[in-house]
Amino acid sequence: MRLAIAGMGWVTPLGTGVDSVWERLLQGEEASATTICERFTDRVYSVFRVPESALKGISHPRLRRASAISRFAAAAGLQALESAGLKRESQNPERIALIFAISNGGVTYTKRFYQEIVGTGAQAASPLLFPETVFNAPASHLAAILGVTGATYTLVGDAAVGLTAITMAEELMANHALDYCLVVGTEEVDWLLCDAYRRWRLLRVAPPIEPFSKQNLGMILSEGAGAIVLAREGFATIERAHPGGYFRKRAETEKILKRILCDLGQMEIDFVISSANGTFVDQAESQTLQEVVPNALAYTGKPALGESVGAAGLWQIILAAQALHSKELPPVLHANQSIPLRLPLSRTPIPNARRAVVLSCGLNQQAAGLRMAIQ
Amino acid sequence: MNNPARVAVTAAGVISPLGFGLAETLEALRSARDCVTPVMRFSVTQCRCKTAGQVSDSRLLASHLQILRPGRLHRASHMMIQALQELMTQQPEFEPELTVVGTTSGGMSYGERYYRSLYGAGGLRHAPTWIANYPAQKPVIDAQTAFGISAPCQVIANACASGTNAIGHAFECVRSGRYRSVLAGGYDALAEMVFVGFDSLQASTPEKCRPFDRHRSGMVLGEGAAVFSLENLDLARARGAPVLAEIIGYGISTDNFHITQPEPSGIGARQAMERALESARIAAADVDYVNAHGTATVFNDATEGKAISALFNGVPVSSTKSMMGHSLGAAGAIEAAVCLLALQHQFLPANINFTAADEDVDLNIVANEARPAAVSMALSNSFGFGGANASLIMRKLEA
Repeated sequence: MRLAIAGMGWVTPLGTGVDSVWERLLQGEEASATTICERFTDRVYSVFRVPESALKGISHPRLRRASAISRFAAAAGLQALESAGLKRESQNPERIALIFAISNGGVTYTKRFYQEIVGTGAQAASPLLFPETVFNAPASHLAAILGVTGATYTLVGDAAVGLTAITMAEELMANHALDYCLVVGTEEVDWLLCDAYRRWRLLRVAPPIEPFSKQNLGMILSEGAGAIVLAREGFATIERAHPGGYFRKRAETEKILKRILCDLGQMEIDFVISSANGTFVDQAESQTLQEVVPNALAYTGKPALGESVGAAGLWQIILAAQALHSKELPPVLHANQSIPLRLPLSRTPIPNARRAVVLSCGLNQQAAGLRMAIQ
Repeated sequence: MNNPARVAVTAAGVISPLGFGLAETLEALRSARDCVTPVMRFSVTQCRCKTAGQVSDSRLLASHLQILRPGRLHRASHMMIQALQELMTQQPEFEPELTVVGTTSGGMSYGERYYRSLYGAGGLRHAPTWIANYPAQKPVIDAQTAFGISAPCQVIANACASGTNAIGHAFECVRSGRYRSVLAGGYDALAEMVFVGFDSLQASTPEKCRPFDRHRSGMVLGEGAAVFSLENLDLARARGAPVLAEIIGYGISTDNFHITQPEPSGIGARQAMERALESARIAAADVDYVNAHGTATVFNDATEGKAISALFNGVPVSSTKSMMGHSLGAAGAIEAAVCLLALQHQFLPANINFTAADEDVDLNIVANEARPAAVSMALSNSFGFGGANASLIMRKLEA
């Protein structure tokens, strides 16, 4: 069964709203990095954060004490519904499913909660913080805002989890009792995450992210949310969501990506939205693209927007849909001209583009893909 | 859905405070054993609750499997590996096309170690190992790797409903014909942060866990893992696979009352059960046993009790959490294994520590002792934070 994208919402460090963020990407802009620190260490990291102004106007009693990750999700989800022309009160709450894609979850509140336990003792632990540490808190808040009473799922995984959520949406929408599925990917950054990825040698201390570089200089973490409304009709069709799989070690990354891309690339592909982020993922994707779809353009938005992990897959889907819709690709930033791929190094018209692949490779062993088309 | 496929459970594996494997679990259930013990894994001196259902490390970490660097894996990974080992012993050729599991915290205690080392300037030599094994999806990937399974994984984190949601979604994937075989289940290991979290909410009890009792005062936590091979029934029979039970219905609902409390009327729980009955195309009167979510908190048991008594007329009900604690993301999967054993061995598992009926909850509680009974259909409930509600119905299949 083919699903279509009926609406999209986007909250990023480069702004909020699909059209606004897209225009800035086309102009070659990138998010501004800010530094993030922790009180018990001098070490600081650079991150791309969502400006507070991006969330103004988002208010609901459930969001009063909610973490940033929940507010990003709510903002993106409401945008997506609005762009699909859906009014909250006119929808049957049982006929909308909600699927969330998350990686690290409400890490800021989780850290604060555990900080109280470690620093002061269990008796100091706040009962107000604990519920916000649970992975499905953001989904719960959005379900309450929308009044959804049917299926609500939160999926956890790495940067490929957004595409896994699309596969699950296809499975749910096979049930004709559903009209729509709202899929939301969301993530927030914290010093602790930066430190963890740095210890894993995946993080760069400061921008830029240099995609497809053989040196694997590392990524910059970012935050925000992406949301899409899936329906049976819409402006772009998801022809196939590939459930992908996992790689046991990094050396196997290329093998699984090739399998996914070979499965999806049986039709002519005009461009690929890659997940290259300055890490080991890049070389695996580069080899895969060169071998399987050498004539397709390859674009990655991560140098401009950062690595948003749980939100990243949804961001990639939005990028693919926007490129198909607007018939142009933004420039890939900070890419070396000698990279043996067809990269749009400047704003590039693609007037005949009909079909795109989203390839998503996470840092914790998961990979997935999907193929999208526009009439 | 026209001509939906029937869905068989062809193998299962379980590890919980009740025991390692289905046989030990059955023995503990039949003897209505209290497997809740004092917590020694981390300090609970400042907590109200000081007990939990716990899996013994000495047996857990003594796996004979050839696993790469087993010392680095999280306890949740070891639980999943042992549960999957039991399943694979029954079905060595099982090759799922998809894996759907539930969890709430994955390798949380490794995250705690990392934070404590950072905060206290402790040794961070093992930090890369902790970080690599912390992600919620890692235990299922480790278990699949141990047995050469390469299916893509969907890891559901719907709080305490996760395990039932995972099996339910897997069931729907096979029933729709999209997949022929799916591995489903759940896992969670005890973690200090979660333990203190429930304690801070005063949801856990310093006393015995007494689900549905007039004097109930809260839950105790648990841990474990359980997995099931779900297959198209016709295909399973065609290849001569044993069929342990059939999954016939799944219901999911979301109530939007409060992030930690169920809607007081029990509408969310009731909708999940009604949808499961509708999905199974059976009447409430066809159900012979309800394995309740039954956390023993005042709110849960009151609302769940109302919903069960409104739908079912005197069906036997027990919460097996009274014996092993609440294993969160694993609970729905472990309790599905309990239902499987009840169907296979024709008995009603007990709701232990039961002293007096709650006047406000009209239920037929299987109090304190397991008892023989004809059980053809069993319904299992799981309800979680965020208003996540799920119900699953299993049926005994005659040979």
